[in-house]
Amino acid sequence: MFRDALVWCLGAVAVIAVAAALALSRRNKAIAAKKRLAEAELTRQLSAADGQLAALSAELQRHRAEHDQTIADAEEAAEESTKAVLKGSARFLQSLAAEQLALLEEIQRKYGGHSVLGDLLEVSHANAQMARKAQGIAVMCGAPLGRRNRPASVYDVVRSAQGQIRNFRRVEIMQQTGFALKASAVSPVALAVAELLDNAASFSQQGSPIEVNFQRVQKNLCIVIDDAGVGMNDEDRQKASTLLSGDFSPRLSHLGNQPKFGFPVIGLLARQYGFRVDVTGVSRYGGVRAVVLLPEELWTEEEPAVPEEPQVSGIRGSVGRPEVVARTAHGLPRRGARQVPIASVPDQAGASPAPASEDAGRAVGRSLGAFQRGTLSGRNLASAPSEGSDDA
Amino acid sequence: MIDEPHEELELTSALVPLFVITNGRALPPDNTYERTTLVSAQEGAAASARTLSPEARRVLELVTEGFLSVAEVAAHTHLPLGIVRILLAQMEESGHIIARKPVPPAERVDREVLNAVLDGLKARFGA
Repeated sequence: MFRDALVWCLGAVAVIAVAAALALSRRNKAIAAKKRLAEAELTRQLSAADGQLAALSAELQRHRAEHDQTIADAEEAAEESTKAVLKGSARFLQSLAAEQLALLEEIQRKYGGHSVLGDLLEVSHANAQMARKAQGIAVMCGAPLGRRNRPASVYDVVRSAQGQIRNFRRVEIMQQTGFALKASAVSPVALAVAELLDNAASFSQQGSPIEVNFQRVQKNLCIVIDDAGVGMNDEDRQKASTLLSGDFSPRLSHLGNQPKFGFPVIGLLARQYGFRVDVTGVSRYGGVRAVVLLPEELWTEEEPAVPEEPQVSGIRGSVGRPEVVARTAHGLPRRGARQVPIASVPDQAGASPAPASEDAGRAVGRSLGAFQRGTLSGRNLASAPSEGSDDA
Repeated sequence: MIDEPHEELELTSALVPLFVITNGRALPPDNTYERTTLVSAQEGAAASARTLSPEARRVLELVTEGFLSVAEVAAHTHLPLGIVRILLAQMEESGHIIARKPVPPAERVDREVLNAVLDGLKARFGA
C-alpha cells in the first residue's frame, strides 16, 4: 500500500517534472524567437537610420558645395565688377596721361629755348610714371594697352621704359643694337621692361647701377637687366616665376593695400604678346638678372626708317648750292654762298634791310678774321644740295 | 557684363621722352651755348662716337666738318633748343665738341665820357 502510494507519488512527480520541462523549453523557444524578431527589427531600424544619416550627410555635402560655389561666384562677380570699374577709370587715366604727354611734348618744343624747359622735363617725367601705373592697372583689368603704330629700335624701347621709372638715371644701356621691335610689340615690351627696371631700382641700393644689355640667342633677342640688389631667395624666385609665366594671375582683391602688380602685369603681357620673362638668374653684381626673351616674330633686324630727319645729313654734300632761295621746304632759312652767315652776324639782316646789307655784312664778316674763316670753311665743306629740294 | 566696343588708344607722343635724351641733366647756365655760339667736333671725336646716344651722335655728325651755330644744330636735329644745349654741354664735358662763344656785343660806353669827348672836340675844332 505504502509502496503503491510512493510509486504514484514518484509517477506524479515525474509527470510534473516532464510537464515543467516541456513548458520551460517551449517558453525558451518562444523567447528565442521573440529575441530574433526584436533583433531583426532593430537591425532594420538601424539600417534605416544609417540610410537617413547618409542621405543627410549627402545633403549637407551638397549644401556645403553650393555654399562654396556661391561664395566663389560672389567673389568672381565682385572681382569682375571691380575690374570693370577699374578698367573704365584706368582707360580714362591712360588716355589722359597719353594726352598730357603729347601736350607736354608740344609745350617743350614751343618753349624749347626758355629756361622753363627744365621744369617741363620734370613734369613730363612725373607724368610718364603716372602713365605707366595707369597702363599697369589697365592690363590687370584686361583693358587694351595704348598702341604705337611705328616700329622702333629696341634701344629706344628700353629708353622709353627708362623714362617711366623714378630713378631713371641709374639705368645704363650698355650698347646699341641694329634690332627693331615691330610696332605691335613696342608698347607691351616697353611696359614690361619698365616694370622690371622699377623692380630692379626698388630692390637695390640707391645709386647702384642698373645695366641693360642686348643679346641675340639663336632666334631670340634678349634684353638683359642686371641690378646690384640683394637678390631673391628660392621661395621668392618660385613665386616670381609663377607670376611671370602668366598662368596664375592673382585677384585684384588679393593684391593688398600696397599692391605690387609688377610681376602679374608682366606675366599677363608676356602671355598675351608671346614673349617670356625670367628673373631667376643672378647678375654679376650678385643681384637679380632679369631677361626678356623676344621670339623672332616680335622683332626684325634692320633699323627702322627715321622719317623725321632725312634732311639732316643734307648740310654737307656737294659744293654748288642754289643762290637765292629764301627757305627750304621745311621752313629752314636757306643760306646762299654769298649770304652773311647767320651764326656770325646775327643782327645784321634785321638791322638794315637795304640792299647794302650784304656788303656791310661781308665787311663785318671779313673783319672777324679767323672766326669767319673757320665758319666759312666749315660751311663750304658742308654745303648742301638737299637742304630741302626746291620742288618739294 | 558687356564690353562696349571702344577704339584702341593710340599713343602719339614720342617714344623716347626728352628728359631721357638729356639723361635728366639740368640746363646749362644761360650765358653758355647761346643760339649764336658756334660748335664743332673735337678732333678724333668720331672714334668714340659709339658711346654716344643716337641724338648726340647726330649732333656730332652735323658739326664734324666745321662750325655750326647752336640754333642751326637745333633746327637740323628737330630738337628743342634747350635739349640741344644740354646735349652740347654734355658733349663738351666728354670732350667730343668744342664751343666758341659769339663775339660779345660792344660794351656800352658811359654817356658822360662820350659827352666829355664831344665837348673836347667842340672846344678844339670849334664846331
